[in-house]
Amino acid sequence: MARSRLNEAWSGAHEIAPLAVGVAIYGLAFGLLAAQAGFGTAQVGGMGALVFAGGAQIIATQQVLAGAGAVAAIVAGLVLNLRLLLVAASIRDVYAGRPWWQIPLGAHLTTDENWALMLAQRAKGRTVGFWYLAGGGACLLGVWCASTVIGAAFAHSIPDPKSLGMDFAFTAAFIAIARSLWKGRDDLLPWLTALGVVTLATHGLGLAPSWGLVLGGVAGAVMAGINGDD
Amino acid sequence: MTEAWTVILGLTAGTFLIRLSGVLIGQRIPQHGAWARGLRALPGCLIVSLVAVSLMAGGGQEWGAATAALAVAGLTRSLPLTMAAGIAAIWLLRHFA
Repeated sequence: MARSRLNEAWSGAHEIAPLAVGVAIYGLAFGLLAAQAGFGTAQVGGMGALVFAGGAQIIATQQVLAGAGAVAAIVAGLVLNLRLLLVAASIRDVYAGRPWWQIPLGAHLTTDENWALMLAQRAKGRTVGFWYLAGGGACLLGVWCASTVIGAAFAHSIPDPKSLGMDFAFTAAFIAIARSLWKGRDDLLPWLTALGVVTLATHGLGLAPSWGLVLGGVAGAVMAGINGDD
Repeated sequence: MTEAWTVILGLTAGTFLIRLSGVLIGQRIPQHGAWARGLRALPGCLIVSLVAVSLMAGGGQEWGAATAALAVAGLTRSLPLTMAAGIAAIWLLRHFA
């Protein structure tokens, strides 16, 4: 059993490589930002390992840099992370019946990237689960911490991700994963609902993208719950 | 710098609590019926929302690159190829369009 767990974790860790490249580029850029905000190397590395949520770390550090204060920085980061509640809830079978210590470990290692990759592999018919997710998450954690610390140390020679087109890496990745998750016409109405609510929330109501994201995901799921039948 | 550690520890506690709550709430949602259907549809809806939010933050070039990425995703079903196509398309559009 230990052997198959290790194999599954290893699959998760190396199959996440294309996404890990994107994470590394963002890690370098975040290191630069954190250095500008006056964070030391231990703080940058510690933040990566402890928080392990790139978007939230970037938003919070921008707030610190803008002089908004610690509370505003924490709130901005946590609002962006609210989606992780939905992300973790949506793969409940992965954590079901696990020993107690695997629950906090798995929760901490759950990110958009390894979650989405695991779902895409399942859509292809593979039976991957907890150790695939954890292996991918551990790989991303290592890459994220290392690249952010390197970015902080070599802050002067870091290219802007946007000038390389790398700011589009995750959008393209999620387009590929959405294509894998598309199962047919039953998905159409929930997905259009999500799209419509995101548009309404961000453009119509002027809410922050963090909220638009959560509202869109929930609205699509509610539509599927009300409308579908098993 | 104490402000940095305050932010780091605040984000650490809050983010972990969010992730753990997600795991625990997921376990408590009914296994059948409308709640279960909604939860099964949630990943696709969240990913669509993620893409929508990032495209709305951009402009015509981002939509163009997204179209290219979607075409490659449809043809190849390959994650690395779709990422490469999207990055190449946005780079070309920004530099030459």
